[in-house]
Amino acid sequence: MRRDVFQAIADPTRRAILSLLAAQTLTLNAVAENFHISRPAISKHIKILNECGLIEIKDKGRERYCEAKLEKLNEVSQWIEQYKQFWETKLDALETYLDKLQKDTNDNL
Amino acid sequence: MTTYNTTDREITVSRILNAPIELVWEVWTNPNHIKNWWGPDGFTNTITQMEVTPGGKWNLVMHGPDGTDYDNESIFTEVEWHKKIAYHHISDHEFIATIAFETKGEQTYIHWQMLFPTKEELMRIVSMYDIADSLQQNANKLESYIKNQQN
Repeated sequence: MRRDVFQAIADPTRRAILSLLAAQTLTLNAVAENFHISRPAISKHIKILNECGLIEIKDKGRERYCEAKLEKLNEVSQWIEQYKQFWETKLDALETYLDKLQKDTNDNL
Repeated sequence: MTTYNTTDREITVSRILNAPIELVWEVWTNPNHIKNWWGPDGFTNTITQMEVTPGGKWNLVMHGPDGTDYDNESIFTEVEWHKKIAYHHISDHEFIATIAFETKGEQTYIHWQMLFPTKEELMRIVSMYDIADSLQQNANKLESYIKNQQN
């Protein structure tokens, strides 16, 4: 199954988990306490975030600590920037076309 | 909480165009003009319907360099003469584009916003978009633009 940063942040609960962990490293139990959904559901989200490289899980004694690794999120902004470029090229094309039209008009004067 | 803030599900681009608003408006709203510049590099366009009025249909087929056709179906939702055009793109993936025009003397400021239904949908589109293609496209555009300048 495809595991990438887009899949990680496609879900609102996972985004909420990430913003919680961005502020501080928490145990799995502490994360679960912040949400009104079942503990297994939270575990599943944590697992996906881990597989996508957005959080690291460290076992200390009986506790599992979750730490955010937000560098991965840069990938998203890079992709968004690329997609934006697609629209910029439309403006480029419009600009070039306008230049050409005005040049042709001047040439015919 | 985030109902009124759309920044996480929109893409915006803007530019000051070196042409008066009358001409910019004309090349945007006249199918005979828009087919000449719409669509990625190497594509040609066939416009089967374009009724620039609120509720009007806009059907455009982009013909890719490899022979693939891409249908684009939209409905114009807002048209304010020399000020604003908004259309709801309904085929393939959904978004609302709002294009604002503003006179700056002999130039025209154009602001283009693409608003997606959800952040998830924007992420889906963005993640499908091919980086290599886009870079190549930009390089080609720049090359042909420079060539035109030199001629």
